[in-house]
Amino acid sequence: MLRPFALYRPSTVGEAAEVLAREGPDAALYAGGTEVLLILKEGLLRVRSLVDVKRIPGLDEIRRDDGHLSIGATATHRALERAPAVHAHCPLVAGVARHVANIRVRTIGTVGGNLAFADPHSDLATLFLAFDGVVRLASRSGERDLPLAEFVRGPYETARRDDEILAAVRLAPWPAGTAGAYVKFGVHERPTLGVAVALMRGAGGDAVTDARLAVGCVGPRPQRLPEAEARVCGWSLADLARHAGEVAALAARDVDAVGDLHGSAEYKREMTRVFVRRILLVAGARAAGRDPHEHYPHTIIV
Amino acid sequence: MSAPGPLRVVGRSVRRTDALEKVTGRARYLSDLELPGMAHARLLRSPYPRARLLGVEVARARAHPGVHAVLTAADLTWCEPFYGPALRDRPLLATDVVRYEGDPVVAVAAVDEATAVEALDLVEVDYEELPAVMTLEEALAPGAPLVHAGEPLAGHFSDLSTLRARPGTNICHQFDYARGRGAGGFAEAALTLEDTYTFPRVQHYSMEPHGAIAAWDAEGGLTVWASTQNPFSVRAELAKMFGLPASRIRIAVPLLGGGFGGKTYAKLEPLAAALARVAGRPVRLQASVEDAFRTVRRCSARVRVRLGFRRDGGLVAVQCDADFDVGAYADIAPRVIQKGTYTATGPYRVPNVVLHSNAVYTNTTPGGAFRGFGVPQIAWAVESMMDVAAERLGRDPVDLRRQNLLAHGEEFARGDTPVDGKLEESLSRVAEAIRWHQASAAGRAKGVAVMMKASVAPSVSEAIVRLHADGSASVLVSTVEMGQGARTVMAQIAAEVLAIPLARVTVVPPDTSITPYDQTTSSSRSTTMVGRAVQDAAADVVGQLLKIAAAHLGVPAGALAVDDAAIVGGQRRLGYPELLDLHFGMRGGELIGRGVVAPGRTQAPLGGSTPFWEVAMGGAEISLDEETGAICVEAYASVADVGRCINPQQCEAQDEGAVMQGLGHTLLEEMVYEGGVLLNANLVGYRVPRAEDVPARFDSVFVENADGAGPFGAKGVGEGGLVPVSPAVGNALARLTGIRLRELPLTPERVWRALRARRDA
Amino acid sequence: MNIIPIRSSCSIRVTLNGRPVELAVRPEALLLDVLRDRLQLKGAKRSCDMQVCGACTVLLDGAPVSACTFLAVEADGREIVTVEGLGTEERLDPLQEAFIDHAAVQCGFCTAGMLLTAKALLAEDPAPTRERVVHYLRGNLCRCTGYRKIVEAILACAHAR
Ligand SMILES: Cc1cc2nc3c(=O)[nH]c(=O)nc-3n(C[C@H](O)[C@H](O)[C@H](O)COP(=O)(O)OP(=O)(O)OC[C@H]3O[C@@H](n4cnc5c(N)ncnc54)[C@H](O)[C@@H]3O)c2cc1C
Ligand code: FES
Ligand code: FES
Repeated sequence: MLRPFALYRPSTVGEAAEVLAREGPDAALYAGGTEVLLILKEGLLRVRSLVDVKRIPGLDEIRRDDGHLSIGATATHRALERAPAVHAHCPLVAGVARHVANIRVRTIGTVGGNLAFADPHSDLATLFLAFDGVVRLASRSGERDLPLAEFVRGPYETARRDDEILAAVRLAPWPAGTAGAYVKFGVHERPTLGVAVALMRGAGGDAVTDARLAVGCVGPRPQRLPEAEARVCGWSLADLARHAGEVAALAARDVDAVGDLHGSAEYKREMTRVFVRRILLVAGARAAGRDPHEHYPHTIIV
Repeated sequence: MSAPGPLRVVGRSVRRTDALEKVTGRARYLSDLELPGMAHARLLRSPYPRARLLGVEVARARAHPGVHAVLTAADLTWCEPFYGPALRDRPLLATDVVRYEGDPVVAVAAVDEATAVEALDLVEVDYEELPAVMTLEEALAPGAPLVHAGEPLAGHFSDLSTLRARPGTNICHQFDYARGRGAGGFAEAALTLEDTYTFPRVQHYSMEPHGAIAAWDAEGGLTVWASTQNPFSVRAELAKMFGLPASRIRIAVPLLGGGFGGKTYAKLEPLAAALARVAGRPVRLQASVEDAFRTVRRCSARVRVRLGFRRDGGLVAVQCDADFDVGAYADIAPRVIQKGTYTATGPYRVPNVVLHSNAVYTNTTPGGAFRGFGVPQIAWAVESMMDVAAERLGRDPVDLRRQNLLAHGEEFARGDTPVDGKLEESLSRVAEAIRWHQASAAGRAKGVAVMMKASVAPSVSEAIVRLHADGSASVLVSTVEMGQGARTVMAQIAAEVLAIPLARVTVVPPDTSITPYDQTTSSSRSTTMVGRAVQDAAADVVGQLLKIAAAHLGVPAGALAVDDAAIVGGQRRLGYPELLDLHFGMRGGELIGRGVVAPGRTQAPLGGSTPFWEVAMGGAEISLDEETGAICVEAYASVADVGRCINPQQCEAQDEGAVMQGLGHTLLEEMVYEGGVLLNANLVGYRVPRAEDVPARFDSVFVENADGAGPFGAKGVGEGGLVPVSPAVGNALARLTGIRLRELPLTPERVWRALRARRDA
Repeated sequence: MNIIPIRSSCSIRVTLNGRPVELAVRPEALLLDVLRDRLQLKGAKRSCDMQVCGACTVLLDGAPVSACTFLAVEADGREIVTVEGLGTEERLDPLQEAFIDHAAVQCGFCTAGMLLTAKALLAEDPAPTRERVVHYLRGNLCRCTGYRKIVEAILACAHAR
């Protein structure tokens, strides 16, 4: 059961921003509603009005833009899974989208809603960090871009100002020849841990020239792990196969793990080690042209 | 007495009689019912595990437009405000204290739910928090705060009039049983093992949460539509609370969206009735799933077991001391603890036994009945330890079990029913199905476990079969259809005996003003007990038909036979409609048959002899992700001795569901409290098995020797399959890793910790 | 610029089980309540109320959604199929037949959601693998059957094509 509210249906970002400016904290943005309606039902949030952003034309667009993959805030997980632009430029994203939540939430839930809600157990926030995700925020005073890493501040907390709308998230596609992989683990409804990895290699060379490693769900917000990333650089695939454990240990050291229903901080730290190593090996194998079909219980590898 | 020759309907996997309405969405459950003018109720629940109520201010809520009734404990002067099947320890609404997070304090009925919620927003409650006891350790500590302090306890079940509380403690009932030389038996043991196992708090999560609609009529009679597994217990409870004769109360039960024990005994019905009385109109009280988590759960337990073996592997003595955490109110837990503990020796021959268990109050959701009724908690301990014993004795676990199994016809306990199944056959079948004697692939191991459970006794079931003028029949029984397929089975039995097509039989839904008495739809008892009553009632009708035919044909009834909706004798064949016409001299009138199954009290330790022994055995093959601690159940085999499958497909369906539910508490499920508050009273935080958790290989096998006390040699099925799951998986884990876990669920982190502890040691 | 919110009732037109329906709903009305309480379509059930269990599943333009957490106003101009629209007693959908034949129905509380989810899956992929079926059922819980018979029923339909 929901308590009464007024529903605004702006048709431009500007209109939405105006309503937000007018209503202040008495209004909440609403896209698919898979999160916001839940917390309204639970009584955890009470507002006088909802501002529906999904009727704003173009806000769900997924396209290549200026070398980036731009994902409109109101694109659903289902759209992400199927969009040709995603398959062309960030295919891993399409694969991960297929494993978010369940079919009903994927049908209705949006990328913007996922990021703006900042539930620490988000696959997308973790994955997008590995694509140097940048969110575009729009308000009456114009637009600003903010790296995702700065946007997500903590559990259910973002750098979005009350009058701002998340318009899109922009991903930097990995260069050709990059091997990427994502793993999620956990027995609960939402993931206990997510790790995204990318190994970039110079043209023709075997050595890893650059790397991305992001870990999420285990702590208050997803993190990139720069030291672990740096350790991989310069390694050959053989080095990687031999020393993946070192990188994993660094990741486990640096990750900010907190205990919750999903497990203790200690366990999550250890799982970070386990899955960073595993996913590095998967990415390494992919870089070598193999696709290892690893199966672990309660684990999805994309 | 019944039709000779091969069975036509019984033993066949006929379609469920309710399948069509269920796949088309026509099936009606409690939440689908609507009454004109009906109000909707909501409860205000305590946010604290234990607190004194200093003040409850409801004036603003009462004045809120659209509100029909606001109830607090203080308003309930006109009825007996306490209820509970074992102990009348539960107030309709909290009186001076609240005893768990979720204890109802105020109830509101309003024109719609939204208004009821608004009204509750206007209620102000002043609490003074008190120290709470959240665990068995805390509740049993000397000087622990008492969940119930010196309140009057009045029995409602006659056989529980022997309730033995320990005054001044949180123990509300103790169960003791001994035979042979009791603990003295351990003197003969060459090997004695002792250990403690724990079982978590788990939630039934029947997909349909509890619900009740109550309406009072102009003459002061009460009708309650309830999602209950035992309408007659609810009726008894309401009769007492509202001072009404049983005949003035009508409990009608629509289809249930699952029960699993969680819908036994009064839950929301008393409150709905009280609200309807004050509101002066029908009231619906519909629980949410979150409410269900705060209504009832399985009793968690700490079980200490001692097993004594002779050198040759024979069990000489068993001692079991179990503490069951029954939460804030006793519900039916006193019975759970005695039933569960009573069969601590499993299906084994044990000369010396000493059993003791306590029902312990804590400030948590009340514990009650849940599929297995106390047996899973104890079997988790005992069956794990049987494997430990096998290892210590250098014996194969299947072999050691086989050596100790009771024989067909052997006494389990003095005065109780002798063993009615061939237990060895079940064991062989499970070993075969799980390929016990073949080596597992690398990284895999197998485990087995067995169980034997008594059904409720003494108990009573009655049935009425009406053969109508057109030769069709109505079966009147109070068995609740909650998914198990009882209505189909009852129809099959009646169709078989009456020799009419299944489609000509209608099973009437339970309604205490129409359908005859049945104690409860639980304890896997319906097919055996109600089924027999239906069989007898149908046979009664057949007897009448034979008599009528004999009179008309002038031949002795013994020379006649029943065949395809007719009585035949020599060349003559009289169809049922024709016979009824002859009998009544007109088209109209019906034959009424009656069946009563009431074995009564006996000298058996629990006061009645079990009508049958439910026997189930399980074998699991698992693999383990050693780095994460995640277990994968690769294969599972479940064997149940059902005597005879009345409907093989339904038996299989019951068993598969039971095993999956067992996998839930084995691997995933646990209600988690922190700071006195239940953290995961919802399906995001409380994870139940999903389709992806079904073992890749899954066999459900039935032993059918037609040796049960039920119709056509059937016995009960439905609970058993769940019980062996946790010890079978735990035993497989031990065989795979050498690690013995004593605490459920076997979550990845728990297993990981154990693996790490071993590595570090 | 002055945009006006929906504050009270607003009229929506829906194609419901193939038939046009027009009705007034409040912005906070949930689709599940409108279907069940206003339109007397009781096939979709409320269980978890959190989009986890699937008991409330209906098809929105062919795609499964959780009616328990979906505003009725959003259905305006769209097509909704509930279990009542899947097949009639005289002409059951093959999935309904298969669920009956495979004993994939016990208490029935999950059944409508299971059927509609399976319907959407088969529309997308007429011959799914077992893995695909299991993956698609991720958000549909059943506490009675143990899932095996449900998966088998769906696969039987897939193969029957
Ligand atoms: C059962 C379940 C399981 C899930 N499992 C997973 C999982 O496995 N992995 C995972 O990553 N996620 C998971 N999720 C989260 C899911 O991805 C999100 O619920 C969904 O994407 C949110 O999108 P929405 O459009 O429905 O958001 P809404 O509920 O509409 O909004 C969510 C929040 O974002 C705000 N908001 C929405 N749009 C904007 C915007 N454009 N600008 C600014 N603020 C905005 C709202 O005000 C609100 O606070 C799960 C969710 C559920 C319900
Ligand atoms: S009730 Fe909607 S998903 Fe469970
Ligand atoms: S049949 Fe009961 S929940 Fe699925």
